[in-house]
Amino acid sequence: MWVSCRRSHRRTRGHWSRERRETAICSLSLLFVCVLSACAFVLPAYLLLSLAGLNGLLVIHGLLRRGCIFGVLKLGLVQLSITLSLYLILYGVAHLAQGAIVVARIILATIPGWWLCITVPPERIGEVLSAFLPTKWAFVVAASLSLLPYMADEIREIYHIQCLRGARITPRALRNPRNWAELVYCVLFPVLIQLLKLSRQMAIAAQSRHFGLNQRPTHWHSPRDNND
Amino acid sequence: MTLLALKGVSFNYGSQLPTVLQEVNLSIGSGQCHCVSGTTGSGKSSLLNLLAGVLNRPHEGEIWRNPKLVTGLVMQDPQIQLIRQTVGAEVAFALENLSIPTEQMLAKVQLALRRVGLYLRLDTPVSTLSLGQKYRLMIAAQLVCEPHLLLLDEPWAQLDDHSVSELLIVLRNLIQGGMALVLVEHNASAFADIIQHYWQLEAGKLSAGTYTVKDTPPVETPVRRSQFNHLGRVLVSAGAFDFGFDGSPVLFACPQGFQLRAGEIVTLVGDNGTGKTSLLKTIAGVLSLRQRLPFKVLGRRPKLGIYGAELGLLMQRPSRQLFETSVLAEMQFSLKRFGLPKERAAQMLDELQLADLAELSPHKLSYGQQHLIALASLACLCPKVLLLDDPLAGMDQYYHGKVWHLLQRLSSQGTAILLASHRHIEHRVVSRQLSLRNGLLVEDPMEMEARYVG
Repeated sequence: MWVSCRRSHRRTRGHWSRERRETAICSLSLLFVCVLSACAFVLPAYLLLSLAGLNGLLVIHGLLRRGCIFGVLKLGLVQLSITLSLYLILYGVAHLAQGAIVVARIILATIPGWWLCITVPPERIGEVLSAFLPTKWAFVVAASLSLLPYMADEIREIYHIQCLRGARITPRALRNPRNWAELVYCVLFPVLIQLLKLSRQMAIAAQSRHFGLNQRPTHWHSPRDNND
Repeated sequence: MTLLALKGVSFNYGSQLPTVLQEVNLSIGSGQCHCVSGTTGSGKSSLLNLLAGVLNRPHEGEIWRNPKLVTGLVMQDPQIQLIRQTVGAEVAFALENLSIPTEQMLAKVQLALRRVGLYLRLDTPVSTLSLGQKYRLMIAAQLVCEPHLLLLDEPWAQLDDHSVSELLIVLRNLIQGGMALVLVEHNASAFADIIQHYWQLEAGKLSAGTYTVKDTPPVETPVRRSQFNHLGRVLVSAGAFDFGFDGSPVLFACPQGFQLRAGEIVTLVGDNGTGKTSLLKTIAGVLSLRQRLPFKVLGRRPKLGIYGAELGLLMQRPSRQLFETSVLAEMQFSLKRFGLPKERAAQMLDELQLADLAELSPHKLSYGQQHLIALASLACLCPKVLLLDDPLAGMDQYYHGKVWHLLQRLSSQGTAILLASHRHIEHRVVSRQLSLRNGLLVEDPMEMEARYVG
């Protein structure tokens, strides 16, 4: 009996230390990501290559953790095409390289955030943020991060529905700038309406699960083994 | 012991808007089970929110709550209640808010999941669950706090029969243990074993009894033809295939393939999470997998956007597709894009006796009305193939009648309809049934004489 109690106590102590370790790692990751993203904007152009190398390591780590980088790449390509087009129209061919550097800075600022979302659960980020933000604000940040994959799916589904309904928003149709308004009208408006509805419903869902009842909520840490 | 009592409660969402609840009186005691029925959009969900104490708008009348009362609310659409990304974290959210020590959470979370029959790893992403599994997850997320009063909005519509029977066992035990339950349900008979008090909500007034439909559109009796005359041209065909997502094990196999012929209404029945939605999306070309499936739709391999008005897909929660400022404009959108006569939209609204909605904003319609408008928008196109993902979920009998009327009309015009549902559909206009169970997609034998092709 005494032995089993001691084992249980040791297990509990071990459990606690793992939780604290997870929270500490999340804090450091958050700090690291903030610094790295800030560097993308403040570093001189000749240091961007080193920063890109560091970001490359994050991408490899994220991919090993089954993250999908296609979204970031798509965003980068769209950003690149729009920015370069604008630079070409406004400043001519001579300044295209500058436009490319601006896009590179944006992508390098985005990758650390992508990596953080892959490697750290949103609730852990919420836990860290609640140390220096009001609980409600920390919850809003964590819930928004949790919602990102869902909203990405929603946007994709709404896009597919509208394509099937005949909206001129297929990749081929969007080559014509006159159809860009249709994308806003058919996809972005419904997405915005969905977001407004969702935020209201989620507030009710959180309230119905006693959110805001305690000023200092505790935090869930998923066990790594024997989950079932 | 009385847990909650409403005395003469009236409520609306704005001074200019009609009253949702009028002089409602209700008393709920521990161990009781109440069921509220009523038309789609009659205010049942608002009543549940009021009971849960999550409505922020002021109300008239008196609401008395037992000081120790803990309520749990599960809304109709589980998708919009998910706050976390993994199953364990989702269930533990309420425990966090109650400041339950972290080391005590694991056992409570596991127990709550088992109570609703979800045997999943705690780190399972919620995005991988089916709608029905998500609904059960939401129930677990409330049961984990051991509420005195549980409020469920339309569980029957979201769950398959197996899940409903499992839920019934759970609810019966909880009621015997003293928990009170309020169900909002169109199909009260599914929970008849546990319901003690029946209520109907009509025009904001709550009275004893079960809501019954007074004016269901009639469905014409089909003209039965001989066995071989039934079979129209094959519009969708699939050879034998194994279906699975990229990098995942096979979800189901279809050893004999299947066909969908012009004028048929075929149901695709399977439990929550068996892959019905994914199959429909694949047929429509919305879901493209690395694996090439032997599908032919209208003589071509499925690809998004190549069928134009010839193929329609109604996804779950079709209210997502609404964006125009009036119902008529919403219905005319596809007609304009496909160069079809715009008059069809008004004719369709007349046929469905919904002409008075024509100038209203589609966002102000009830759930059932939005659902029907989305379906009617597709029906206007007279597609050759129509794929419907659970089109009857969350609708009352009145709207069911209208949906069947519409489907029968399309079928008689030669549209092949594939209708996915998590429940066996008993309807005389259904020609055949495909079943998805135990990882197999097979055709269920039906009496040929009983088949109907429009």
